[in-house]
Amino acid sequence: MDIIIQSLAAVYNPMTLLLVSIGVLFGMVCGALPGLSTSMAIILLLPFTYSMDPIMAIVLMVSCYVGGSSGGSISSILLKTPGTPEAVATTFDGYPMAQKGKAGEALGLAVTSSSFGTIFSAFVMLLASPMLAQAALSFQSAEYFGLGLIGLSCITSIGAKNQVKAVVSVMIGLMVGTIGIDSINGVERFAFEQPSLLNGINYISVMIGAFAVAEVYKNIEEYRHVDTSLRTNQKVQIKLLKFSEMAKMWSSFIRGSVIGTIIGIIPAAGGSIASLIAYGSEAQNENANPKFGEGNPRGIIAPECSHNAAVGGSMVPTLTLGIPGSPVAAVIMAAFLIIGITPGPMLLREQPIMLNAIFLALITAALLLFVGGRFVTSQFGHILKLPYPLLGSLIVTLGVVGAYSLKNSFYDVLIMFAFGLVGYFFDKFKYSNAAVILGLILGEIIENSLRKQIIIGDGSGMGFVTRPVSVLVLTVAVLTFLWPMMSRKLKKGKA
Amino acid sequence: MAIEIVFNILIGLGVLFYLAQAIQLPTTDNPADVLGAGGFPIIIGIIALIGLVMITIHTIKEKRKVDIPMLNLRSIDGRMVFINVLVLAAYVGLLDVIGFVLATLIYLVIAPLSMGYSKPLLLAVFSGVTTAVMTVVFGMVFYVPLPRGVELFRDLSYLIY
Repeated sequence: MDIIIQSLAAVYNPMTLLLVSIGVLFGMVCGALPGLSTSMAIILLLPFTYSMDPIMAIVLMVSCYVGGSSGGSISSILLKTPGTPEAVATTFDGYPMAQKGKAGEALGLAVTSSSFGTIFSAFVMLLASPMLAQAALSFQSAEYFGLGLIGLSCITSIGAKNQVKAVVSVMIGLMVGTIGIDSINGVERFAFEQPSLLNGINYISVMIGAFAVAEVYKNIEEYRHVDTSLRTNQKVQIKLLKFSEMAKMWSSFIRGSVIGTIIGIIPAAGGSIASLIAYGSEAQNENANPKFGEGNPRGIIAPECSHNAAVGGSMVPTLTLGIPGSPVAAVIMAAFLIIGITPGPMLLREQPIMLNAIFLALITAALLLFVGGRFVTSQFGHILKLPYPLLGSLIVTLGVVGAYSLKNSFYDVLIMFAFGLVGYFFDKFKYSNAAVILGLILGEIIENSLRKQIIIGDGSGMGFVTRPVSVLVLTVAVLTFLWPMMSRKLKKGKA
Repeated sequence: MAIEIVFNILIGLGVLFYLAQAIQLPTTDNPADVLGAGGFPIIIGIIALIGLVMITIHTIKEKRKVDIPMLNLRSIDGRMVFINVLVLAAYVGLLDVIGFVLATLIYLVIAPLSMGYSKPLLLAVFSGVTTAVMTVVFGMVFYVPLPRGVELFRDLSYLIY
């Protein structure tokens, strides 16, 4: 009881609450701006935490993590330019909704879902941290391979109009992902002795090109012939979901949050994979109205719940095992070490207030997302009122900054430019840009875990079918992949 | 239809080149690494080729007409997109020569003009304010690295960010 009271006193005092608000708002702004990331936001905050009380410092960073993870969806929905990698899946249905004049609704869905996902994972973190962390350690190469395949199963949903083109698109994404040094045996692949290609192709520059720049080209062709009053006259203000509306879609909230929490707990998996898998699992429903990819609310709820649930999830192995659950959690772990706290099994015993304080910070930050979201969205709303020639040019410039800042490299801007053209033609010929990104994101985890498992098995792939967790994950992957085709056949049979 | 077939052939040639490169990748010394560095690329390359053949057969059967304005320079829309691609290419090329501030300022004037925007005063204000805000927010507040250009432009950029 003493610990609970101390934790409440540590978080619910004016100074800490102010820090939570600053963290959420700063995170959301950085998340919403392409070129700034959640990790960068936390790194920028780090110098201010040196002289702070450790709990205040961690609360500030965790709040920033929650805000950043949610903020990426704002530019995804309004500009089709994901502010963070986690927000890629939100683009699929968020942008079409905004195009239909429902930007406020889409943003409301995103913020509500992010908030729900964060709170869900915070409770899981508080109640089951040590047990879940141990379970996550049983994930090895075979299971990671299955996880990657579950992510790829999205293509049966996001490429529903032409499955073969979606498969070819995902293969092209996987091929692009193989460029660079092979991380298993260090062989140079498809780099043609270009130093800039040795590190591979960053999916953020591909994503900015294929989504944002290609969309600008498309809109240049169309904007003079379509009524833009829907976009320019709409008041972009977050429309919050009523409880009854949430209740109707409860399954998407729960599914997204469970997927996000589980994937967040698995070391190094992270929110971007979580949101893609959650989107894929949601988009299995072919009878949805509107269809997925055309502005279905569940296509926003699932990925948003999922990537914010991954925030709490990723804190589980970080706090209990000292293994970061995501790249951002790795930055937070470094911050722990800087302020003199060593995350790991002893942390919960030596600093019992810390876990409770992080839990309370997550809950408070999740609730403050509504305030931060309202502010950031209203600023972005003004941008949407610009005439398209100005808006399009601004999007491209933001994209250039986003690509260049990845590695301070001009080469990433060239990649963005090239994929702008590729994305334009893919869109015209009904290939799937989203599937290319999916392949690019998941390629590394799929290839590396496949080969690592075979190496562990001394050249045999039996490990995939002898490990119970692997069998379970692979079965889910196969079923997820085949389910849309099976359900179509079943329906035909019934008819 | 023809343009889509040409597009599929171009992708196919790219995949064939990729496969040819993948086959030449060195084998590994580790006998347990059955796939080696080239195994996975070969598998995905073959799947992509099979998919492309299926798509091309379907395209020939379907005879769908695809409108690509960028390739039709007689239309105003086509010219606008094509010019914008060139303007963006020039912007990308200039970034590393004259730096972010000047290149962005020029781009934000020329790109809207090439999209048919015709309010010079508003355009001047927009390009000036946007460039200034982006430079301050990214370059000065968040210390995001922005291109500095070469020689004189590089030196000048250090006075700003």
